[in-house]
Parts: sequence; structure tokens; C-alpha cells
Amino acid sequence: MADGFAGTTLRINLSNGEIKKLPTDEKLMREWYGGRGIVAKICYDEVPRDADPLGPLNVLVMTSGILSGAFTPGGSKVEFGSVSPLTNGQGDSNMGGHLGPALKFAGFDLVIFSGISPKPVYICIDDDKVEIRDASKYWGMGSLDCEHLLKQDLGEDFEIATIGPSGERGILFSCISHDFGRQAGRTGQGAVMGSKKIKAIAVRGNKAIKVHNLEALYKHTYDIIQRTKEHPNMEPWQKYGTSFFIRWSNDNAVMPTRNFQTTWYEDVEKVDGESLVTKCLVTHKACFGCWMNCGKYSKAVIEGKKTVFAEGPEYETGALCGPNLGMHDINHVVYINYLLDNYGMDSMSGGGVMAFAMECFEKGLITEKDLEGHTMKWGSIDDVEHFLDMVVNRRGIGDWFAGGTRKAAEKIGKGSEKFAMQVKGQEMSGYDGRWAPGMLLSYMTADIGAHHNRSWTITVDMAEGRETTEGRAKIVIYLQHIRPLFDTWCSCRLFWGELDITPEEYAEAVNLITGWDDSIDQALKVSEKIWNLNRCHYLERNKANGRTFDYPPARSWEDKIPNGPGKGKGVSLEQVETMLDDYYRERGWDKNGNPSRALLEDLGMGFAAENLGKAGFLGKPLEGGIPKVRGEKYKPKAF
Amino acid sequence: MRIKVNADNCTGCRLCRQVCAIKHFSEINPAKAALWIEAKFPDPGKYKPHVCIQCGKCAMVCPEGAISRDTSTGAYIVDKTGCTNCGVCVSTCPEKVIFQHPDLNHIIICDFCMECTTVCNVDAVTKWDVMKPSIEAGKEA
Amino acid sequence: MIVYLKAGTQLREHLKPDVDYYTRKVETPEGMTLKQILESIGVNPGFVAFAYTDGKMKNLEYIPNDGEKITLQPPVSGG
Repeated sequence: MADGFAGTTLRINLSNGEIKKLPTDEKLMREWYGGRGIVAKICYDEVPRDADPLGPLNVLVMTSGILSGAFTPGGSKVEFGSVSPLTNGQGDSNMGGHLGPALKFAGFDLVIFSGISPKPVYICIDDDKVEIRDASKYWGMGSLDCEHLLKQDLGEDFEIATIGPSGERGILFSCISHDFGRQAGRTGQGAVMGSKKIKAIAVRGNKAIKVHNLEALYKHTYDIIQRTKEHPNMEPWQKYGTSFFIRWSNDNAVMPTRNFQTTWYEDVEKVDGESLVTKCLVTHKACFGCWMNCGKYSKAVIEGKKTVFAEGPEYETGALCGPNLGMHDINHVVYINYLLDNYGMDSMSGGGVMAFAMECFEKGLITEKDLEGHTMKWGSIDDVEHFLDMVVNRRGIGDWFAGGTRKAAEKIGKGSEKFAMQVKGQEMSGYDGRWAPGMLLSYMTADIGAHHNRSWTITVDMAEGRETTEGRAKIVIYLQHIRPLFDTWCSCRLFWGELDITPEEYAEAVNLITGWDDSIDQALKVSEKIWNLNRCHYLERNKANGRTFDYPPARSWEDKIPNGPGKGKGVSLEQVETMLDDYYRERGWDKNGNPSRALLEDLGMGFAAENLGKAGFLGKPLEGGIPKVRGEKYKPKAF
Repeated sequence: MRIKVNADNCTGCRLCRQVCAIKHFSEINPAKAALWIEAKFPDPGKYKPHVCIQCGKCAMVCPEGAISRDTSTGAYIVDKTGCTNCGVCVSTCPEKVIFQHPDLNHIIICDFCMECTTVCNVDAVTKWDVMKPSIEAGKEA
Repeated sequence: MIVYLKAGTQLREHLKPDVDYYTRKVETPEGMTLKQILESIGVNPGFVAFAYTDGKMKNLEYIPNDGEKITLQPPVSGG
């Protein structure tokens, strides 16, 4: 087996309890690298296009990646992938902590779960010993509570991923949790895990990860450790983590406030990073092998409620469950973070769903009668707690919201879909795109809906003009290749983004680990392939032209920002259409948003062109041909 | 020379364990490290590194006399050929910082190379320039 | 009075460091806010997420003291 890989792939069929150990497919790993790439290819190959994502024919893939566990900065991630029940397209989500490395230390690169277990189980991987065990004792527990109990039952040195009652009950935005505060949050991976009746995955490993050139790798990373210790950003990141973004977002009028009604929150200092570290912080918490320790483990103390611990709120949760819900106390935001984590709900979609419910209540579209005599008012922690109880138990209208804001809006009607802040079924990240058109385009075109992890452009929008769309498409495309590359390598991207480690240095580490000789451009090409594979997969499943799915919610162009520094600003529908036209052309896709044959063949993906053609959605040839290079790195000029 | 633990600062990153194993076994394999990080979650939510405190109990109980003190570093060193991997020292160690591994036929014990202290970015484990010949179990200087 | 501004990533290049790899020395009248100081040296304050000095986060309305060393944190990767 090639260096850098553990060597063994596990296939676990939950329907019949069969566990197969197979040599890891080297050719597949060489072509798709691992992480996000491997989950995309496996799901594309193995899940029938009409399979129910919560049914037996979906697979759940859990994988480590080349950089994970291999003594690299931020090399800690584990990636989960499956066809997403939330978006009905390829879904993947990863998390830090210690599970990805543990999988490799146990000797496994990849675990593919298929079928559905007849009863609740958990998977125990203890070096070579792999078992499917009865989980009736744990089924029903909160995800944090379950991890705690499993660590007591199995041993503190096991690394454990769990789902909560939300995943068990198939709430579409359920997450997978690990290490008392990390989540593979987006795209409903927890719902898929729950549909297979897997309550937890416990891993312990005592083996070495074999790398190609350990001496050179050690020096490479050791030098980076010493260099980054002196970097100006190190200390503020260690102290505040992502929470310092809260004030910046607000000052620059991109803060989602009260369900994205506006973009500036008047009470932001009650829920910002300073309030977090002074009022709630308990421990700075790091992922495996990371010396930036951006995690903030916190305690919420609220009169009349039990004291709870949660990791966070990270920026996204802090924004989407803070100003977006009109909260006035950081303790309340930590408490909401805890509720969502323990239920096993994505805190981003959770915030979005609650904000949507609050706006519906404000407009009288749902009433106290619908809410079992309770209200759903902005800023009310008690209302939030009761509402989440309804959702996790699928009681009454809680069942509507269990499908996310898109499905809830379908049930509620009355024009509410305009402010269901989602694209392709997944709720929007914590930045408003009306005064940042590149960000809006990022939401429109991300493979998994309105998520920022693929492309984040707010500083570019500020540099290039917040009211123009000029040049945005090329930059978004480049970011959609470089950012998910970290998900493919299973590394955190914060060292690249914040501490000046170059993509070339990451590519060098990959080569030192594997013995390959790939340049960063070759790596970006792999990332572009994955992007297009996911697009093809999406179109084949959803059976319509791509353009159909790439629009933002109508609030984005109908409602100008009503107040704050961004007052009066907003994109027009015309700008939305122009951005899509630009984007498709720059991607080598036709006007309908469908990848063209020329583009797919250029990427060595003739097979995908054949399949897409058979499905009837192969893009028409582009006039003038496809761009030779898709996407362009942003070169900042006006600072 | 000893290692001072400032437990309050520890973030649980385990970088120390990684470099320890790489340094001594040329392997990326934290299971071969000579220190460990206790994690107390969810409550109180703190980490605590455990390192050798040079108490000498291991040397006292070793039935083969395979553990002896290096007077220049203060470390307790195992004679790898004399050690039978019986594990008596492992259960005796008050900090639980003597380890066994399926790959090895001898115990793993800290030699105070200090590599861990050069990577920790939060001063959770730091160089402590003190020699402690006392064998009072469990007591720090 | 003198203030020392430190930054990494792309902001560093625009800061034009002259003291060491990360640090630029700026001579400025007393009583100016960080925002005004940045504007006076041609750096767009919108690209500074926050300032960090003496272990605390400060916004751009902060008025530095003589000799103070201030880290400027740009928001680069989001999320």
C-alpha cells in the first residue's frame, strides 16, 4: 500500500451484519486523494439515482485523509459523506477533534456503511478488532451524554462519534458529534447515520501511520510550528477563536439579524467574542496536533436552568443563534449551542430553522395554538427551548420544521418561502449576501446549498466593490477549488487562511507523506473534478437543469437592507441572473447550468459526460469553447 | 531537569505525544509516547498532562532491576534487554506514565529529551531546571 | 507619538512592515483612532476584523497610546 495510507478499507453491511476488510483501492485514492474526493466518487458509483437518502440503498462513508493524523498543521479531520437527505445531492461534512487520526492509527483509511441495521447498534473499532455491538442502552441519549457514557464503558482512550435523538428520528439537518464539541454538521449526515440505526462509532488505534519521508516531514512541520508561534495572528486566534468575527461582521453589515431581515444588530456586544471569553470560557480546546487551539469550551449559567457546557459558539453558531434570533445574552447563545449539540442538530441549520419560525410567528403565520400555548419570540430562550423540544420529538408543527426551512415553508405557504433562507434545501451560513454579491453567488452555487465553506468572498466584495458583480465568478470558482481541497486532504484550512502557510507548503507535505510528486495545480485539478462530479450527481438525481436550483431566496433581491451601515443596499434579480451567466461560462457549463462534454472530457471525466447525457442533462457546447483554466486566484489590488 | 506541568493551559492537542513518539521510535504513533493527557469532559472541561515526576518508584519495584536513574538528566532509564515487560512498574507509577505497546518487548518511559516542551504553544509542559533526587511519591518540587 | 502595527497574511503586505517581518512603525499625532491611523497610511480599515493589544480585542475606534504594539487581524478565511 502506498505510503501515507493505512492500507485497509472496511465495508460494513448493517442489514446482514457482514464486516469485510479489503485492501484500500490505491488507484482510487491516487485519483481522488481521499476525504471529500473519495466520498464523492463512492456515492456517485454506488448509490442509485432514485435511492431514498434515508433508505437502505444510501451509503454512509467515513474517511480519514492524507494529512489527517500525519503530523501536519491542522491535520485532524474525519470526513463523512452520503447522499444528503437535506439537499438530495451529494453531501459531505467533516470535523476536527481526534477521530480521523484514530481511524488511521487503527489501520483503516475508509469505512463504508451500507444497508440498515434491524436494531440500534454501535460500531467498535479497536485496532484489528471490528464489531457491531448492541446499542439499546444508548439509543435515545443526547449525543454528548452518549459520548460520555461510552467513554466510561469502553475507555477514555477511545475516540467516539455519536448521533443524538435528532439523528435517530431522521430530522433532516441532524449532525454527527465528537469530542464534546466537534460536529460534522451540515447536509444531514446524522440523519443518514440514524437511518442506518448506528448510534455511535468508537475507534482506538495503536499502530503507526507510515509516511514516505518522516525525517523531512518532521522538519517541515517543526519549522512551521516555530514560525507560526511568532505570527501576529496566533495569539488573538488562540484567545478568541472564530468568535472575534462577530463584531467585524456586524460593523460591516453582513450580520444575519432576525432571520436575515437586516444585517446589523443593535445588541451585538451582548453576544460577541469579548463577552464569550470574559463570561463563559472554561478552556481553550484544540483538535489533534493543532497548536492554534481555536476551540472555546464554555459554560452557560442561567438562572432557572441547569448549568451546561458546550464547545462554542463558533462564529457561525454565534451569528445564526445570536443576532439572527435576537438574543441578548451570551449565556443564552451557549445554552442554545448546547441544546443543538446534545440533540444532535446542526447548529447552523438549527439557527436558521428557529429564525424562520420566529419570523413566521412575528407575521402570524404560526400561532400560539400551533406552538402548544407557547410563543416563538425573538430573543426568548424559553421559546427556543420549547420549540426545539417540539422539533426533536416531531410534535405537531415541529414535524414541519424537522425537514428544514424549505420543507417548513412548503407546509406553511403564504409566501413564507421568500424568507426561508436556504438554497437547495440547506440553510444559509452566517453572512448576509445582499451587500456582498460574491458571497451571494457562493451560496447560490455551492454544491451543498447555502454554505460558506466552499467559497467565502466578503473581503473580496469589499475590495472590488460591494454593489458590482464584476469578476466575482472567477474568484468564487477558484475558492470552490482551493477551500474544499482541505476537505479532500482532511486538514483544517485555518492555518492556510490565517497563519500564512501556503498551498505549496501543503502540497509539499502531501508529497513527503505519500511519495507522490503532485503540484498544487494538480491538486486543484482534483478538486475541480470533485466539484463537477458532484454537480453531475446532483443533476441526475434532481432531474432538471442546474439553473433551476441555483437561485437564492427571494428576500435576497426583493428586500433591500432596511437599516444599519448597509441601509438601502441589495442586489437585483438582474444581477443574480448575470452572476449565474458569468459563473456558468467560466465553469465550462452551458446557460442552463449543466456541465458540457468538453469540460468533463478536459477533466478526464468522459464517464460522467456519458451518464449525464443518458440522464438528458449534458450541457450544450459553449460558443467559443470552454475556458482553458477555470477560476482565478484573487489578487488584491485596492486595499 | 524536569517537566513542569501547567495543567490549566493544556488544550488537549496531543502535539507533545506525537513528537515524543516520532523522536524515540521514528513513527507517527502517539500510543508510543511517554506522557499522556487526561481529559475531564464534559464537566469541568479541562485537560491535564501527566509526565514523569522522577519519583523513582518504578526503579524500586522492578523485579529485574532494569530501571535505573541517569544522574545527569534525572530520568529513570530502562535497560531494554533486562526488561521483561512484566508491567509491575506500569501499575506502580503514580502518574501512569509508564507504557507498554504490542510492538515492543520493553516498557516506554520518559528520558527527558524535552522535545515536547519545544512544541507546546501554551506552556502546558515546560522545561523545569531542577534536579529532584527525592523519591517521595506523587510530590512535585 | 509612535505606534507599532503588526499584521500577517495579505494585510502585512499593505502595511509595508519596516521594523521586522510583521511590524510597521507609524508616527502619528496623539488622540487619533486606529481607523484614522490606518486611513492615514493608506490601509482600508474595512479589512481589519479587529485589533488586538495587551491581550484584549479592540475595535477601530480605539485610541492607541504612545509606544503601543497593536496586532491587526484581517478576516481571511471566514467561517
